[in-house]
This record gives sequence, C-alpha cells and structure tokens, in this order.
Amino acid sequence: MKRTALAAGAVAGAALLALTACTPRDADDADVVGDDFEIVDAQPAGTQAVDEVTWAIVEGEPATLNPAASANLIIPNLCDNLLSLQPDFSIEPGVAERAEFVDPVTFVITLRDDVTFWDGSPVTADDVVYSLQQNTNPASQWYGAFALVDPDPTAGIAATGPNEVTVRFIAPDSTFRDALAGQGGAVMQKAFGEANGAAVGTPDAGLMCTGPFELQDGGWTPGSEIVTIANEDYWNGAPLVGTLTYTFVSDGSTLATALTQGEIDGAINVSPGSRAVFEGDGAGSLTVGHSTASYSFGPASATSAAANPKIRQALNLAIDRDQYLETVVNGLGYVQKTIVPEFSFHSMEASGTYQEGYDALAEPEVDLEAATALVEESGEDVSRPLVVAVPSGAKEFQQTAAIIQSAGKQIGLDIRIDEMQASDFGALFYDPSKREGVDFVATQGYLETPGVLGYPSLFMLPPEMGGIFNWSGYENPEVTEHLLAARNATDPETAAREFTAAQEVFAPDMLQVTLAGTYQLTYLSDELTGVTTSIAAYSSPWALHLGGK
Amino acid sequence: MNVLTRTVLGRLGGMLLTLILASMVIYSAVLLTGDPIAALAGGAKPTPELVEQIRAEYHLDDPVWSRYWQWLTGAIQGDFGRSFVYKTPVVSLVGPRFGITLQLVLLTVLLILVFGVGSGILAATRGRVVDRTIAAMTSLGMALPTFVVAILLIWVFAKSLGWFPVYGEGEGVWDRLWHLVLPAISLAVLFIAYVSRVTRGSLVAQLHSEHVDTARVRGIPRRRIFGVHVFRNASPQILAIAGTTIAGLFAASAIAEVAFGLGGIGSLLVQAAARADLPVVQIVSLLLVTIFVVLNAVADLISAIIDPSSVGGGRTS
Repeated sequence: MKRTALAAGAVAGAALLALTACTPRDADDADVVGDDFEIVDAQPAGTQAVDEVTWAIVEGEPATLNPAASANLIIPNLCDNLLSLQPDFSIEPGVAERAEFVDPVTFVITLRDDVTFWDGSPVTADDVVYSLQQNTNPASQWYGAFALVDPDPTAGIAATGPNEVTVRFIAPDSTFRDALAGQGGAVMQKAFGEANGAAVGTPDAGLMCTGPFELQDGGWTPGSEIVTIANEDYWNGAPLVGTLTYTFVSDGSTLATALTQGEIDGAINVSPGSRAVFEGDGAGSLTVGHSTASYSFGPASATSAAANPKIRQALNLAIDRDQYLETVVNGLGYVQKTIVPEFSFHSMEASGTYQEGYDALAEPEVDLEAATALVEESGEDVSRPLVVAVPSGAKEFQQTAAIIQSAGKQIGLDIRIDEMQASDFGALFYDPSKREGVDFVATQGYLETPGVLGYPSLFMLPPEMGGIFNWSGYENPEVTEHLLAARNATDPETAAREFTAAQEVFAPDMLQVTLAGTYQLTYLSDELTGVTTSIAAYSSPWALHLGGK
Repeated sequence: MNVLTRTVLGRLGGMLLTLILASMVIYSAVLLTGDPIAALAGGAKPTPELVEQIRAEYHLDDPVWSRYWQWLTGAIQGDFGRSFVYKTPVVSLVGPRFGITLQLVLLTVLLILVFGVGSGILAATRGRVVDRTIAAMTSLGMALPTFVVAILLIWVFAKSLGWFPVYGEGEGVWDRLWHLVLPAISLAVLFIAYVSRVTRGSLVAQLHSEHVDTARVRGIPRRRIFGVHVFRNASPQILAIAGTTIAGLFAASAIAEVAFGLGGIGSLLVQAAARADLPVVQIVSLLLVTIFVVLNAVADLISAIIDPSSVGGGRTS
C-alpha cells in the first residue's frame, strides 16, 4: 500500500524491500532532461569488493527495524519482500517465484525453495503465513493493504503446501499484489518472531530475515549506529560490501560537508537545498532518480473556508509552480498535476490508460484574476485568517508555507503560518483536537510501491471507508464508487479505467493542492557505484550491487 | 562540628533538595510539552484502538503524581525506564553517550583553563598593550556564539585546510582526540573569554590591595607575592566561575555535538526532545541538573578549602 509519509516526526515511510532479482541496468536507464541533469534510476553494478561502507540516514535513527511497523532505508537491505521491486518500479519475482490471483478472491504464493534466513534455516510456508499475518494487526503500516483479506485467521492466510501460501479475500483486490513488493510482503522468521514478540526489530532483539545484509546481535547501538554485515549465502548472490554501517546525521550542512569530504560514503534523500555543494568539487557525485515524492497541502477542517474547493482552487491558481520548484527544491523537481504521481503507474500493466488520464488533467497555471473571482464566488468569510501548519525546522516547509502565504495575499486570503514541533505535527494526523484552529496542513509524501489508490483512498473516501485523512468531510458518491470499483477490479485495464474516472472528478476538487513532484537525490562517493537511485530504494535492497567501480 | 564539615553537610542537604525539586519540575514540565503517542506508535499513524492500547500500557491516563511516584521509586532502584522510541532501557542509551560528552567537556575544560586563566594572568601582569590586545580578543570571543565558531572552524580547518574531520567520534584514543579538537574549541571560545575576564579582574583587584602593597614593601619576591598573595586570594572567584562554566558545558555541548555529528548526551537530548521520547528527556535533563549542582558544590568546597574565610565563620588572617 502507499502511504503519505508525513514529514518529519510522523514520517515513517513504509519501506518494503523487494529483492532485486536482476542486476540494475546500465545507464541506458537514463533519460536526459534539459542540459541540467539526467535521471538515473539505478547505477551500474559495482565490480570490486569493498570492506566497509558508511552510509548516512538522513531521516534520523529509526525507532524500529520491524518491517511491519516502520519504513526506512535500512530495512530494505535486511529483509526481503515476497516480490522484487525494480528500480523502474516494475515488479519481478523474488522470494516468491510466483504470486498471482488464481480466481478473483484466491491468491496463491509459490516460494523459491533455496531461500534461507541468516541463521541458515530455510524459509517455509509457515514463516510466510506468520509474516503476512503481521499486517492484519491494525498497528501494521500495511493494514490497509490487507483490508480485504478474509479476517478468519485460519481461512484468510494459510499454508497450502510446503512452499505454497494461499490468501483468501472477501472481495477482489487489485492492489494486493503491489503490496507484496513492499514491506507488506516482508519475510520474517516465525520462530524468531514468536520468541521475541513486540521486541522484534528493536535494538535489543534485532531481526531474523533473509536479506543481503545481516543485523547481528549488538549490531545496533541505539543513538549511534547500526552495523550490518554481508550475508554470504544470499539467494540472489552475496553483496560486494563486507560491512555496511548506518550512521544518523540530522543536520543538513554537517551531512553535506561530511559527504563531500568523503567522511561518509553516501546518503539517499539528501537535501536539494545543498545542490550547489553536492555538484561542486567533492568526494562524490549527486545522482537524480525518479520518485513518487511530492509536496502538497490540504484542508484540516470540515468547517473552515479551507474545506471549500473554490478556496483551494483559488490558491492553486495563485501559486507559481516554477518559482516553487526553484525556491524549494533548487530546480530538482517537476510540475505534478495531481496527488497521484506519474512514476507510481509508470511500469504498471495498464500504464497507457493511467497516462492518458493524467495527461487529460489541467496543467497548473497562474491566473490571479480567476483566482480572486473564485474567492468571491466561494461565499466564504475571508476576513478570518487561515492557518497553515508545517513542521518546524525544515527549510523546505518554511518556504512552502511562505509561498502559500504570499499567494494567498495576492488574492485576498490572509494566511498565517503555524510551525509545529515534530511531535505536535505528527499528532495532527491522529488526534482531531490537535487540528482545531488549523485550516491547512502542508506535507511531503511518497509512495513506496507501485499503485495509484493509496492517496485517493486516504484523502477522498469517507472516513469509515478508509479515508482517515479526509478531514474536510469530502464525499462524492461518484468518486467513492469508481475508487471502490478500481480496487475490486479483477483485471488491470478495468482498474485503470475506474481510477481515471474517479481522478477526473477528484483532481479538480484539490483535496490536496499538489505543489511539486520531487526527485530522489542520492550522493555517493566516486569510488563506489551500484545503488538503486529511484524511490524503489524504499522497497528493494538498494545496496545489493553496491561496490567499487 | 567544624566549619568545613558543617559546610559539606549543608551543601549535601541543599543538593538533595534541589535535585528532588528539579526532578518534580522536570517530570511535570516534560509531560506538559509533548504528546508521546507518536513516539510510542513508532511513527505509525495510530488508529484510535492503538492509541487506547498505548495509553493503557504506559499509564498515560493516571494522575501525574502517581506516575511521578512510580518513576521516582523506579529511578531509586536503578530502573530509569525505557525509551519510548527505541524501547530499550534509558540507561543503555545514556551510558555510552555520556562518555563522549565527558571527553569533550574535559578537553574543553583543559582549553578553558589553559587559555582562559593563562590569558587572564597575562592581561593582569604584562602591561597595557598585552592587556588591551587580550581585552579586544575576549570581546570578540564573547560575541561569537558556539554555532558560529563551529561553522567557521569547519569552514577553515575541515573544508579548506582539511586538517580535521568534520563528523563523528573516531575510534581509538588519538583518533578520538583528533575528532574532538574542533568541537572542543568551538565550545571553549566563549568560556575562555569569560574566564579570562574574570581572572584578570580578580587578579587586578588583588594586585592593588593593601596586603600586596605591604608584601611588596617588605621586599618579598614578586613571584612569591603573586603565588601566595595574589593568585591564591583571587582563586576562589576564578574557581567559582570556572565551576559554573564547566557545569554549564555539559548542556552547552549539545550545540557542538549536533554541529560535528558527535553522539553525546547533548545531541541525544535534542533528538529525544524532537521525538517526544519523554523518559530520555527526563533522565538526560535530570542528569544535567545533577552535574550542575554537584560541580558547583565541589567548586564551593574547593574554594572553602583554599580560603576558609570565604564560607564565613572563622577568619584565618
């Protein structure tokens, strides 16, 4: 499933790792975009063994490495997912050599027979049943993806052979397979999980997975570093790097200096604000890859003027996207028309239909007269200031808020900025009382697996149907009907047509005003290569082919 | 009971009272500042059921005093609770990091004492030009906040010259020392300036006092006058300032730790606060208060030993 990674504290991106079953392509994957930079989703695989690599995790230290509970860039190198997400966002077999619906409500997973956990024990159907069942717990990040699985624990997910698992559904689900290429399909050892309970993934207990790097006892020193070592018996070939150590650097300028001085070998998701530093002389280079990440803002209240689509449409017409891209992401982004980004359907079977639907949407443009007229037409009392909440401490969000504010000013909307501490900002997403007095919330989000229904389900469906971020009380029966039909579709083409029919209606309603799509930015030492540089890094072992040039 | 024993006991009682009050203030203040649900949910967007479950598990709905009591009794028995974020005992988080902060502070203290007291002595004794020069430098030092010094040092010594690393703690004694030099300098600058001023001020006051004039008239050698009459009499004041300064360094080190990517308790506190990891915030804050109180008391006691008259009561001269 896809989720919004709420910026800062609440951002736990659910990352899934998919094993890359094949070597990343060479630079033939690169498209040229202007003269400015090219887009590369996977660097050429490394050829030389390297003893040690130090990697900085920009988002800070994770709370847990449990794939069901967290999304970060460390888990993908530790735990395999059943299906293998490729750098171009296509899905290939992985630990599961086959995973398909055999009828509209029965999904059969056939496992490879040569995959072992770090302790040498083979992966069995029971382990996979245990792993998938983790996601039927509401605490799982992937709960939504498993919503249509038969809730009866014995009938829903069951071992039906030594290497076969069968999942039964209460209704057809066109999105389930995609989730298995994310951490929804993460494979963990049942015996280890039962022995450690809730402690799975913590510094004390650790993990027992099958991925190319192993977390050994004492490998995680909380507050300091996580040391992982190569799994020499990895089913898809041993990695070239002997020890991969993760360190946590929250200060952007410290990180930029440490990377360019060569004290840290690489980092994914470096700040576009340091573009000049990264492109200047230094120990490494910046690689720009495709992403599903975007900046947007949306209404936080059903009673405020923000809940009126005309107000959001007016702001949409008042924001200059080119200026936004230059200011906030230093040009390392692109105009994105709606909340569902193109890369999320780029490699899906019905991508043609999705692309047509996307192309048919209006391009954002600046028209202050029309915007001012919309504000008047809205009939809202605009004398009261509208409050936009952003997480504090992040320059990108301060600039985003300032741009929204100045756009509002031009069309007669008084916008106030509320910079919130990470924990308070995170609380906005589950505690309605924290949203009192807040009209808009600006966020950054990404989708870690292919598929288009994640955001629309969260933002546009009624709350009782999964629209937990539908705070403005949006309810359009047509949208709801098409979205549900897309999820219950039994063939990809129908799913695509139903989705685009919904999108045609919900996109102009601007439940999220999309400000810009951004690229995945990876900085890597010039002596190394082989990293997955697209957003697929959140769901695949991006360091499997990392090595010397 | 002699004066010294009484002073020590009084000090100890005062310390204990301060710590108990501080623990109450810290405990309740921390509770008021953040909602721990996000931290406890590990970044997930919790459902209402999960929120309920967490509230019950961590007794979040119990009255504050009962939670404080649980916390305090646990702490007395050595159980400082578990981190909300990492779910590991707080002690195992704070322990290893304390060592790094301690090393950083010790190196900084060394710099402060050598350069702060040293330049103060020079300013007080080496004539006008030296005095003026040092005064100008200390004015500049006092005007430079730690993070500015850190940026300047990184720029000059790490990026341009490449002499020192910009990030991390290093491994082994020399590598560690090498990694700590820039952070220690960035922390020390402000305090060197401060200690230098205080040292100079108290030395000058002593140099112009009657007993020094008398000693000079009696023909006692300069060096001896300075050692016995001037420096010794000025030292309680210098010590008091140095004590407060050093105690404050443990908290101030957060800035240098963050700037140079050091994993000490200061950066731990910053991180924990940002993530509403309340047990960690509570313990680190309390630790900082304890260090402050203890070091101040120690500085006072040393002053008392050097110059018993400073604690009142008996007079020796």
